[in-house]
Amino acid sequence: MADSSSNHTIETHNLCMIYRSGKVNVPALQNINLNVEQGEFIAIMGPSGCGKSTLLHLLGGLLQPTSGRILLDGVDISKLSDSERTAVRRKKIGYVFQRFNLLPTLSAKGNIELAKQIHGNGSMNYNGVDRILDMLGLSEKIHFRPAELSGGEQQRVAIARAVINRPAIILADEPTGSLDSRNSRIVLQILQDLNEKLHQTIVMITHDSEAASMASRIIEMKDGQILDPASKYSYEPEFESLY
Amino acid sequence: MENLTAANIRSRPTRTFISILAVALGVVLMLIIGGIATGTLDDYLGRTVGMGADYILQPSGSSVFYAFSNAALNVKLAGKLAEVPGIEAVTPVLAKFSSSDFSLIFGIDMSSYNQFSGRLQLVSGRLSLGENEVIVDQLYAEAKKLAPGMKMTVLGHPFTVSGICRPGAVVRVFAPLKTLQNLNGTPDNVTIMFLKATPGADEIAVFKELQRRFPNYALARATDSNLLLADARLPGFKEFRVTIVVVSMMLSFMVILLAMYTTIFERTREIGILKSLGASRRFIVGMILKESAMICCLGALLGIGISEVVRKIIITKFPTLQVAMSVDDLIRGLILGLLAGILGALYPAYKAARMDPVRALSFE
Repeated sequence: MADSSSNHTIETHNLCMIYRSGKVNVPALQNINLNVEQGEFIAIMGPSGCGKSTLLHLLGGLLQPTSGRILLDGVDISKLSDSERTAVRRKKIGYVFQRFNLLPTLSAKGNIELAKQIHGNGSMNYNGVDRILDMLGLSEKIHFRPAELSGGEQQRVAIARAVINRPAIILADEPTGSLDSRNSRIVLQILQDLNEKLHQTIVMITHDSEAASMASRIIEMKDGQILDPASKYSYEPEFESLY
Repeated sequence: MENLTAANIRSRPTRTFISILAVALGVVLMLIIGGIATGTLDDYLGRTVGMGADYILQPSGSSVFYAFSNAALNVKLAGKLAEVPGIEAVTPVLAKFSSSDFSLIFGIDMSSYNQFSGRLQLVSGRLSLGENEVIVDQLYAEAKKLAPGMKMTVLGHPFTVSGICRPGAVVRVFAPLKTLQNLNGTPDNVTIMFLKATPGADEIAVFKELQRRFPNYALARATDSNLLLADARLPGFKEFRVTIVVVSMMLSFMVILLAMYTTIFERTREIGILKSLGASRRFIVGMILKESAMICCLGALLGIGISEVVRKIIITKFPTLQVAMSVDDLIRGLILGLLAGILGALYPAYKAARMDPVRALSFE
């Protein structure tokens, strides 16, 4: 299934996703063709409901498309079974969410160790957890539970969890959406460093143009489609027209 | 490395505690009720064997539990039994259950009864039974604080304790056969005949001869408890024990099913997170089963502990009641408790493993 003719880490071909709500079909994505090269940092922007998160879930193998293909390192994951897609996700992908999604019962260190355990390298590189927490300025808080950490600290733990297994791709779903501007800058800087120093491919969804400016490429979406760069969508809310 | 299972258990202490307690309850139920049934039977069989009889004869269809048998044997049958070649001694006994202290009373003919090796061995008082006298064993005397010469009421009839014998005899209270027959309203009948073979006689041949001559009676060999149990009919005993085990297991099963089902619902988002991290279905099933196994293990251990305390309380408060609890029983309790819990967690684990990760992640 590997396609050796392409150097793209991520490719989608005519990707469509239709949700079924009762008897009504709701198209979420229509003919998405996207190429992301290895080591690229792209930002996806667009209004709520335009299909950004659906696209990210499809790229991460959390959803199966209605039609079309998704190639990750040449492997068409749209044809894979649920357990095969899970295995791809485990080996290749790290997720960062807007709401951090840390397990509340585990400490910062426990959350990261869990990712290692799931990946299957739980016993390897044991000091890596301490090191990454140290690098992210969390060495004092490794035994703190998520509820005892600030939003910014939780997101840094979530990033540490996403990268501990050195995934090829990081999918970030509005990683700064729940953070203040200071913590947003820290998180974006970490993502940029990961991209530049470790050459990790990053696909980030954001509403924040400042955050998007950190990416090497910005893709804009509307109504389930990627907009032509020539017809850029303005996502700035036009509150002025209310008054 | 931090343990997710232990962390999950610790994070919901009330639910965990109630689940552990419910599993423990199932184990206590299984060990105590099963222990009382087995203990009573073992004690009964042991003391019957201790009587020193080679055979016992009862009305047809009787079980080894004399208490549930009618006094349907004519006392004159003892004479006919004694005529069988190879039979040295026969003693007729009327067994009567006293519901007031949940014990069995034997009406005996002292002279023939004492021809058996399990005869009454006096500790204090005298070895004779006047019309309104009883002999009780030491355990019974201690439990009821009785001494020779003291009055007691048995089956609503006043008796005087004439002597106290060693424990280990078939029952703990012995009254004169005639008196008990009259109290029972069956002046000529008894419940059971104990028979002793002549030393050196072929026990099997004598048994066969007894069966041939008395085909309409229930005969059992009584030289050891296994033989007695094999020959005696114990209708429903095995089924009773199985029922206790099944009810106990069902209790643990349902508690764990409910607890784990609720847990899965509560943790929908967490399961979505695990899936987004690439956790396989096997990992998620394993996590739920491990949690359930840990709860059940703790529950079973607590149940064993509580059962031991309850057993001690029972034998202290009711010295005549036996509660058998062997190491095998405890291991069985532990394994069955664990098994029930794991079975109960299977469906919730399966449900969790099949959860849609995107829906789970958006669960509030």
